[in-house]
Amino acid sequence: MTKKRSLLFSLVRSLCAIGIALLVATLLIFISAGGDSLGERLRTTGEALQQLLIGPLFRKSGAFNTKNFTDILAAMIPTIFTGLSVCVMFSANQFNMGVEGGCMLGAFVAAMCAVYVPMAAGLHPVFCVLMGAIVCGLMMLIPAVLKAKLNVSEMVSSLMLNYVILYIIKYFMNTYLSDKTKGSIQSYPFLDTAKIAPLVDNGSNLSVGFLVALVFVALTALFLYRTRWGYAIRMIGMNQSFAKYAGLPVAGTIILCQVVGGILAGLGGGIEMLGRYGTYNWGALPGYGWTGMTIAILAGNNPLFVPLAALFMAYLDKGCSLMSTYCGVPSQLISIIQAVIFLFFAAEQFLANYRQKLVVKSAREELAAREGGNGNG
Amino acid sequence: MGNFLSMLFTTDFFYSIFRISAPVLFATLGAVVVEKAGFANIGLEGMMMVSALFGSLSAYWSGSWLVGVLAAVLVGIFMGLFMGFFAFKLRTDVILTGIAVNMIGGGGTLFLVNVITNLTEGSAMASTTSLITQKLQIPTVEIPLLKSVPVLGPIFSGHSVLTYLAFFMVFCTWFMLYKTPLGLNIRSVGENPNAAASVGVSVSGIRYIAIAFSGAMAGFGGAFMSMYYSMGWSQDMVAGRGFIALAAQAMGNGEPLGSMLSALLFGFAQALGVKVSAVGVDSNLVSPIPYVVTILGLVVFALLARKRHRKKLVVK
Amino acid sequence: MADAKKVEWSDKETYAVEMKSISKIYPNGVAANQSVDLFVRKGEIHALMGENGAGKSTLMKMLFGMEQPTSGEISINGETVKFSSPNAAIAKGVGMVHQHFMLVPSLTVAENIVLGTAPTKKGLVIDRKKAVRITEEYAARFHLNVDPNARVMDIPVGMKQKVEILKALVRGAKILILDEPTAVLTSQETEELFRELTHLKTEGYTILFISHKLNEILEITDRMTVLRGGKSMGVYETKGITKAEISRLMVGRDVVLTVEKEKAQPGETILQVRNLEYTNEWGRKMLNGISFDLRAGEILGVAGVEGNGQKELVDMLFGLNQPDGGTAAVGGKSILGLSQKKLRQTGVSLVPEDRMLFGIAADASIEENLIADRVASKKYNRGSIFRMKAIRGDTKKLIADYAVLCRSGKQKVKMLSGGNIQKVVVAREFSNDPVFILADQPTRGIDVGATELIRKKLVELSRAGAAVLLVSADLNEVMELSDSLIVMYGGKIAAYFEDTAELNDKIMGEYMLGVQTQPPEETRKVCHD
Repeated sequence: MTKKRSLLFSLVRSLCAIGIALLVATLLIFISAGGDSLGERLRTTGEALQQLLIGPLFRKSGAFNTKNFTDILAAMIPTIFTGLSVCVMFSANQFNMGVEGGCMLGAFVAAMCAVYVPMAAGLHPVFCVLMGAIVCGLMMLIPAVLKAKLNVSEMVSSLMLNYVILYIIKYFMNTYLSDKTKGSIQSYPFLDTAKIAPLVDNGSNLSVGFLVALVFVALTALFLYRTRWGYAIRMIGMNQSFAKYAGLPVAGTIILCQVVGGILAGLGGGIEMLGRYGTYNWGALPGYGWTGMTIAILAGNNPLFVPLAALFMAYLDKGCSLMSTYCGVPSQLISIIQAVIFLFFAAEQFLANYRQKLVVKSAREELAAREGGNGNG
Repeated sequence: MGNFLSMLFTTDFFYSIFRISAPVLFATLGAVVVEKAGFANIGLEGMMMVSALFGSLSAYWSGSWLVGVLAAVLVGIFMGLFMGFFAFKLRTDVILTGIAVNMIGGGGTLFLVNVITNLTEGSAMASTTSLITQKLQIPTVEIPLLKSVPVLGPIFSGHSVLTYLAFFMVFCTWFMLYKTPLGLNIRSVGENPNAAASVGVSVSGIRYIAIAFSGAMAGFGGAFMSMYYSMGWSQDMVAGRGFIALAAQAMGNGEPLGSMLSALLFGFAQALGVKVSAVGVDSNLVSPIPYVVTILGLVVFALLARKRHRKKLVVK
Repeated sequence: MADAKKVEWSDKETYAVEMKSISKIYPNGVAANQSVDLFVRKGEIHALMGENGAGKSTLMKMLFGMEQPTSGEISINGETVKFSSPNAAIAKGVGMVHQHFMLVPSLTVAENIVLGTAPTKKGLVIDRKKAVRITEEYAARFHLNVDPNARVMDIPVGMKQKVEILKALVRGAKILILDEPTAVLTSQETEELFRELTHLKTEGYTILFISHKLNEILEITDRMTVLRGGKSMGVYETKGITKAEISRLMVGRDVVLTVEKEKAQPGETILQVRNLEYTNEWGRKMLNGISFDLRAGEILGVAGVEGNGQKELVDMLFGLNQPDGGTAAVGGKSILGLSQKKLRQTGVSLVPEDRMLFGIAADASIEENLIADRVASKKYNRGSIFRMKAIRGDTKKLIADYAVLCRSGKQKVKMLSGGNIQKVVVAREFSNDPVFILADQPTRGIDVGATELIRKKLVELSRAGAAVLLVSADLNEVMELSDSLIVMYGGKIAAYFEDTAELNDKIMGEYMLGVQTQPPEETRKVCHD
């Protein structure tokens, strides 16, 4: 198939998948929309859809909503990191689900460094975030080594680890580390030196972390496509037997990709924590890991597409929360939209007939061209 | 210490092992059959969440626990077929399909319970705990002779209908896999799908059956969770049991009996946790025990398997 | 074409199988069949001939419902059919015996035969006794001798094939497709098979026989259809056609695949193998005291019917498995148990038998496939980052050297034809200055052009000093290409021939089938110490 046709096919396919997801969303909104008559229901549905699709960027008056826009960009910070993390691990076919717990662990460690380790202003956030990333990378050694050395499913062990991390952090937050003067469970406030500076001054949480995230997009892409380690990761993902046979370090790479994934997840958690909050107060897994997976699927495991996918998800998320505020549609609708996108994007045979038609057309043209060429020659 | 042990190993403790293991056991059997058919269903967790929700709601609407259980199983089967459609028809990676089902099980159920209760009850609820009463709980059964036997009676008698069903299903699953034509087909599809296809066994058909079966099992497990283990559905109530089932399947070497023992190990770990927290240990320290035990179990199993493999080589 | 009698399709006749202007384009764009016509009379043995890659298997897969034609029409006994699955084909009495056995190893022969239609007691429990009875009944009726209670993993290849044929017959097949049935059989087993097929023919069965072995075709078939490059070259009566004519139809030119090579000047010993022993996981002794030397500058052929230990030998030499005893050393250094990385550093190259599994990553580009064994080299890395210029330059050169037909190095390997895929594998394996090349079925299933190129390169490398171990089930290939050769039978070296010039098929066949074995003094000569 020609390159142009391949591109066309990918585009049509992506749009169809997103279209189906939005269709499902519309249906669910219609069911959940209040109203006694059909007309009223339709109107509520319309309103909700408007909030979902247009609301995130434009006010009712049609004016551009800068605050919302920066909120959306801010929401992309952790999910770009988790998306990158999943890209790296899924590229090697390592279905490690520990991004969720890793993100929380990174945030927790960074927060504790921010509370208890005094340091100079410029250095402090860097130190905190790095500590979070390192601890998280070390944590990922557990599923990684178990997989590489004992062939224990990294999926199961990392899922179990998520719960272990959650409860252990909760335990510390309930006991030694909580600020007892506060009504809710939270840590002592971060030292001022530890906070990550905001990028714009409009009360949104868009921090410098956003730029760091973009830098890491480039670094991860460089790592995956321009280094021998990234190469090994991708080859193992495409055909592990081949990678082993060609002499690539399979076990080492399986460990490496999960540790790198852990570091990225930890970075995301730490940067989110220090850029958005003043104390540590997460009592549950943050959900960034699952969003990261959707983002990686949308991006086809290519880091360069991660920001776009993260933007899309953040936009939808914002739309969903607006919808729940103004139209009473529960914001968890996002989970269902996410699932539908997930299913169709990863579906190999989705629109396969259309693809086959394009292939046949290309092949016929090629044959005709070849025969024509022979005739003339 | 002795005091603590005697307090620990009571009949009540062993009774609770079976109670705690049952939902995991259901899911484990689902994992076993799917694995025999040659793939993995990591969507068990989400399937259990969704069927737990619909089970409890149906029980409430109908006023009958039995209808609730049946609804949960039907929903489980439907979810299985839904997964199958994407995995086998549209060829979405079966692991990714499972993740998507888990997303629906996570946030999606909360959306659904909000919307459904808003429509039926007039107010959006975040759980169904207020709807499931004692009357709707899955009933327990006293076993006539056994119940009066000391020690054994209090341990083995007085369980819920579904607890007994779970252990009976271990036998049924084994029988189905090794004694019936369906089992023969499932195993052949798992071992060599081309061979199965070459004699006209529909590979995707068998896989649909396997995943529908695992959906039904997840349905039972979900119903157990929301209508017996807890009263009503609430967020995150399955708490990784679907994932633990996958581990139990692996630890049990994919065989029904071995997997049952692994599920019991999980039950033991959690029952132990409950006891320990009763003596005043922080629940956040106790809660991770089953998950840690599961990881350790997987490691031990892997080490044993490796040793067995070595031994075989030496014998040879 | 003096005597060859071309047969034209006649609309007066009702054919058992009719396939009219069938075309098939695969999702990767390969046009495997282009308007192919095939018509087969009831009760005849009809050969489908053609080179590897001519489209024979694809055509038969469509007849058996495993693939669907892109266009064209299929009729069975005059009735137009559309097979969406093998099930539909089976229902119309079409059965197929695949080249690679479609059996479930852990099940018994009887279980495999009744699979999908297992007899039951009261509709629930499998009736194993009845399954055995059915198997025995059919086995007796069609003179196909099998052991119903043996596990398939324990039975010999010949019996597996009979199980396959029985599978089809039990399901009521009247039209049998046999895809290269003799490829894995000894000549005795082949003769037996032919007797069985002739018997089936007399009972009114129609048999479609895929092969590219001319002798067999002339011996057993009534008529033949020849395919070349996905197109049909017509239907011919077997009677009256000569081998030369068939091969001209198949290949389109008079290619005799002889390789010009100078006499080998063997140097020092590169690979030394002593007393390798291996018993597989089902307790069968696959390697039983294998010893040989391979010297620089020579090609040592390993001939033998598949399943006599060649695969195990290759696995041991390339670190994919561990022997129970014995030694293997390259340049005096033991290579047993080394990682593939270490092996490659020692100068060992492998052209694997299963190229799609071990030879390439199908979703990766040609470029990425070519650098797999040398990604860590200084030449390709500046610090941590790849030197893309060096990589692209080398890729371009290799593509040109090995005449890989592609758009660019960026093209995904899975979009290439089988021959070109193998060229990619070989280009990588031959271009890393190998000391010892392990070539396992290097030309299996690929077109003539690629075959010629690969054979030429192998000879070139060996004459330049590389030691080549050529494992091949293609008798012509080992005999043509090797300087000297060993024959493996039952896990042992059955014969060693210092010079292949004197050899012929007949002698080889006897050693390959274990009819003859050289005394140990003779085979010991392959150890040049």
